Amino acid sequence: MSASALLEVRDLSAHYGRVHALKPTSLLVNEGEIVTILGPNGAGKTTLLRAMLRLTPSTGQVFFKGKDITGLSTHRRAEEGIIMVQEGRGLFGQMSVRENLTLGAYTQPSGTMSMDDRLDKVFALFPRLKERINQIAGSLSGGEQQMVAVGRALMAEPKLLILDEPSLGLAPRVATEIIETLGALNRKGLGILLVEQKAPLALKLAKRVYVLSLGRIAAELPATDIKSHHDLAQYYLH
Amino acid sequence: MITLTQLIQSLVTGVGVGLIYGLVGIGFCVIYNASGIVNFAQGVFVMLGGMICHAILSKFGMPMLLAALLSIPIVAISGILIEVLVVRPMWNRGAALFAIILATLATQIMIERITILTLGDQPRSFPEFTLGGPLKIGDIAIGYQYFWIMGCGALMVGLLWLFFTRTTMGRALRACSQNRESAALLGIPVSRMLMVSFALSAALGAVAGILVTPTQFTAYNVGTPFGVNGFIAAIIGGFGNAAGALAGGILLGILQALAIVIFGAGFKNVAALTVLLLVLFIFPSGIFAGLKGKSH
Ligand SMILES: Nc1ncnc2c1ncn2[C@@H]1O[C@H](COP(=O)(O)OP(=O)(O)O)[C@@H](O)[C@H]1O
Ligand SMILES: [Mg+2]
Repeated sequence: MSASALLEVRDLSAHYGRVHALKPTSLLVNEGEIVTILGPNGAGKTTLLRAMLRLTPSTGQVFFKGKDITGLSTHRRAEEGIIMVQEGRGLFGQMSVRENLTLGAYTQPSGTMSMDDRLDKVFALFPRLKERINQIAGSLSGGEQQMVAVGRALMAEPKLLILDEPSLGLAPRVATEIIETLGALNRKGLGILLVEQKAPLALKLAKRVYVLSLGRIAAELPATDIKSHHDLAQYYLH
Repeated sequence: MITLTQLIQSLVTGVGVGLIYGLVGIGFCVIYNASGIVNFAQGVFVMLGGMICHAILSKFGMPMLLAALLSIPIVAISGILIEVLVVRPMWNRGAALFAIILATLATQIMIERITILTLGDQPRSFPEFTLGGPLKIGDIAIGYQYFWIMGCGALMVGLLWLFFTRTTMGRALRACSQNRESAALLGIPVSRMLMVSFALSAALGAVAGILVTPTQFTAYNVGTPFGVNGFIAAIIGGFGNAAGALAGGILLGILQALAIVIFGAGFKNVAALTVLLLVLFIFPSGIFAGLKGKSH
């Protein structure tokens, strides 16, 4: 394992009953790197992420910052600094934006920074959330909900941020805004693992791309090799 | 026919008893929200609250307040024991929810037997918190204990509200009830929250048991009626909705009190079950279910 490896997944494999949704899969995210997993609907992207966070039972190994975390439960992995924004955002829909964000800082010791300062850091990225702070999260627009989801994840001061199709169902302009924010975070050194179905947006950011198809990694490419959707078509048609 | 005096008396006692049902009902909700489990051992906490408080009072002659403050954590620990010894082993092995629910029912029976063996099967009571009374206004006479029930019941509800909205642990519990996976992904130890919910529910039951015992009696088997009425309160309230359970409990208490004066004491449970059936016919998900604004 290289010294700068942030997350390393070895031979992760998961079944739903008799369906082998994730064949043994290995991947690597280095410190400060932004890596994208692309793949068509049903390829096993969500299954891979769920297995990585131990939301879904799996076999294989997961290392984080050189430490074997295979035996750790989901919440202990979060304590280690791996924070995931789930597909569908996973907000606490009946709680206010403030409560959602505040819960994001659950793992953070209260002594180090005041909650208001933590919130201000999120508002700096998503100013719109400041106006919505007392609104019930479930009543926000899709784009605003995704901002809450990303903001909540950032409240945890992640070392690795994992996002499962954050642009899903969003207007292109909003999706772009969120992806650009992720780019800015990465430039400040945050490791990001981004799962997307649609290539163009994700490819703007990524340096390295895994293409997932039929439950296995079909290709690992530098993003520059994928100039258009066209180059990916072979993996999407099956 | 019912007189105005009887009406007012039954309203007051009904609200008092209803608050007790409400506390038990909230206990059901707290565990259900954290886990999806309906804890049929809920009534046992009411029984243990009264029985343990009585034992402390009679064995050590402590002041009421001290005995109550000692009993509550003891019962809370019994709740933790149920979670650790019965629920968690099944939960961790992926047992079906209905199997776990059945196990809580078995636990209720076991605890009742243990109570008979250790404390005996005789009913017992302890004095009202404030001696004297009843309070008389004209023809209306209301035992002081009902004011204690109302005051302490309201206090508990206020404390619960503060706990769930102002503390990290309370918010984390609510987070688990809305989305357990998201909670875990933020580092909230979901299984420990289940333990917290059992402790909290047990403490609520204990408070209910201690408050209500002076108005009647307690014995190894009072858990079932309180459990059933608390369960009905929670269903009226839209299961899982704590405020609804409280309102449902008060409604149930008032209706029972009215049924007793109008039709006689034998109709208390008939009234409760009639209310339950009517509510389920007309509002299949509880009268107050809409207020919670369920997201799924
Ligand atoms: N809970 C589940 N039970 C059974 N099969 C599932 C479940 N979740 C996903 N699958 C199946 O596993 C495969 C991969 O799904 P998923 O990981 O959600 O793909 P993606 O996120 O790439 O769209 C699909 O064939 C899907 O139907
Ligand atoms: Mg998916």
